[in-house]
Amino acid sequence: MSETRITPRLEVENPQAGRLEPESLPMVLPTKGSDRGTLSMVAMGVGVLMAGLSALSIGNFVADQFSRAPWLGWTTLAIAATGVGLIGVAVWRELSFLHRLDDVDRLRADLANPARAREAAKSWLGTLPQAAGIEAALNATDSPDAIMALLRAGPGRILADEAQTLGRIAAGQMLAVTAAVPYPALDGLIVALRGIRLVRQVASLYGFRPGTLGTIALLRRTLLSGVYVTSANIAVDTLVKAAISNPHLQTLAGDVAGAGVAARRMVVLARATAAACSPLSAEG
Amino acid sequence: MDLIEAARGLIPVRRRVRIGVTGLRRSGKTSLLTSLAVNLLAEGRGVAALPALRAQLNGRRMRVAIPPAGASSMPRFDALAKSASLAADPPDWPKPTDAVSLLALDIDITRPGMFSALPQRLRLEFVDYPGEWLLDLPLLGQNYADWATGTLRRLETLPEARDFMGFVRGLPAGMSADEDLILSGHNLYVATLRALQTNGFSLLQPGRFLMPTPGDQPPWQHFFPMAGSSRLASLMQQRYDAYVAAVRDELSAPGFAHIDRLIVVADLLSALHAGRTAFDDASAALGLVARALSRREPLPLLPSWLQPWGISRIAFAATKADHVASRQRANLQALMARLTDTPARAVSQSFSIAAINCTEDFVWTLDARPVSAVRGHVAGQGVVRSYPGEVPDRPPELSDWAHPFLSLPHFTPKRLDPGGRGVIPQIELDRLLVFLLEDML
Repeated sequence: MSETRITPRLEVENPQAGRLEPESLPMVLPTKGSDRGTLSMVAMGVGVLMAGLSALSIGNFVADQFSRAPWLGWTTLAIAATGVGLIGVAVWRELSFLHRLDDVDRLRADLANPARAREAAKSWLGTLPQAAGIEAALNATDSPDAIMALLRAGPGRILADEAQTLGRIAAGQMLAVTAAVPYPALDGLIVALRGIRLVRQVASLYGFRPGTLGTIALLRRTLLSGVYVTSANIAVDTLVKAAISNPHLQTLAGDVAGAGVAARRMVVLARATAAACSPLSAEG
Repeated sequence: MDLIEAARGLIPVRRRVRIGVTGLRRSGKTSLLTSLAVNLLAEGRGVAALPALRAQLNGRRMRVAIPPAGASSMPRFDALAKSASLAADPPDWPKPTDAVSLLALDIDITRPGMFSALPQRLRLEFVDYPGEWLLDLPLLGQNYADWATGTLRRLETLPEARDFMGFVRGLPAGMSADEDLILSGHNLYVATLRALQTNGFSLLQPGRFLMPTPGDQPPWQHFFPMAGSSRLASLMQQRYDAYVAAVRDELSAPGFAHIDRLIVVADLLSALHAGRTAFDDASAALGLVARALSRREPLPLLPSWLQPWGISRIAFAATKADHVASRQRANLQALMARLTDTPARAVSQSFSIAAINCTEDFVWTLDARPVSAVRGHVAGQGVVRSYPGEVPDRPPELSDWAHPFLSLPHFTPKRLDPGGRGVIPQIELDRLLVFLLEDML
């Protein structure tokens, strides 16, 4: 050691200061991009033109009708207002559904927070008929982990089972339909339509009523959770086999190329949608 | 992509990786396990808590969960409760563990491309192996005479051992094996070990004298080091042999068998601060452990996962690295590497880590010279600046001890998320984890 070395030093810098704050760390989950793609902008432009020009046309038409006769104008206005109102209600429902879908993320965050877990669990249970009788047990638990375990074992399990049942029913229908349809080219369309209906059925189970836009948003979300669900459950094949336990369906699944794949997709889709809609999705 | 690895994804069982975590006393095992669990869970939620691990995963996503304990007989390490106490205001450092415990984490890692539906499923089992017991490993390759001679030589100069050494020296030659006398000698020896432990010594053998296994102690656990060839010495040797055999059996028991990765932690900074005797003692203990671990030869014809002590990777970690500025951590790591440098069968690497980073670096002008220092919060004092001196990159020379080395304040943890479910700031813990698991990730 050199003679000029600096001796150790300890010094109070600020006696009033509290604990240090840690650096905030970034989330690395996929985030919604703010940049709009070209197709999105084209679609938005078309939408604005259609809505705007339609509104102008309706306005002009109503004004034109008033110029012909007041009673004609009022009647046209009432019809136009009813139509626009219904469209507005539909848009409102879509937007509120999208907002509620974000609520799932907020609920997940709250359930992971020890300070808010119990209240979050109660607010979720309040929306579910499957939650009857669990509140007493919920009040008796003393940790967020126990609350999550209770939710998973209770309403979470019931909902997942019901979603699974819907998936199995859709799987059975897919087997029958793909075998009956004479044109293989139609198979894809049938699977897509039944898939969308299944997504909406499962979403309804979790208290959502998605419209078209909402279903698209839910499908996007479902695709993300689908990676986990398919990967976490090799038992899907077993479920498909259970769904086609009927000997006739088994014969069909063996004979019709793609029927088994379509059925499997329905089971996976039901599970993935359930994972997307559930605030307990970590259970996979 | 390894096809065999991918095929594992088809099988609905998890590949178990058992990692022993052990170290010299007060070296921060409990903090390390707490930080590992909390940060891995945070990574699973998508928070970049362990950047090196994230880089190793290269875009693959990870899910982490604490599995149910099942019917396991081993107590669980309650990392979340310990994290909650760290996050409390005022914070409370986790109490050191005084028994074996297990921290299990289930990890699912997605695979890229066509194998994305077949995740890699791991169960990491961290076994909190008591540091006291770690020092029993060197006994497996040592006979009673060598152990007793070495121990008595070391105790000769230590004031804490005055009573015991007086007792041993006073034993008449040809002493018979009287049980009351043996018990007195044993109790004196255990009291000596406890006094040494209180004063910061690490090389305290046998470890189970300080941390007995649960249940009544069998008679063979009552012995002490002595020289000579009396009937008493002969009985001491038999009991020592029985003790070593019990340690060997325990390493093959379900709780400790199949440990195939090991983390050995030591608080070298505190040892440097405590002075030459304590540092030499810690160095000797670490060296003994490193040699004992390197000596474990594999049993013939058995694959590595069936070996009773088939450790394939060992991480030697100098803890509390947040007490020195980042510029000095390389020295701390080099010091650890020199103390544990021994040809080993396992792949080993040294690290300087802080499982819970309580400080931040800054440049302090001292004696008109800029030096890298740290600042952190100390309970009752507010924010404190600390320049703990230069950390040597090799064991200090005799002349170096003339200067005080380090003074280590008791920093409090940074403010954490309420409930302790967020992230625990760490230093190099992510690199250590990657080293242990890189052949599986």
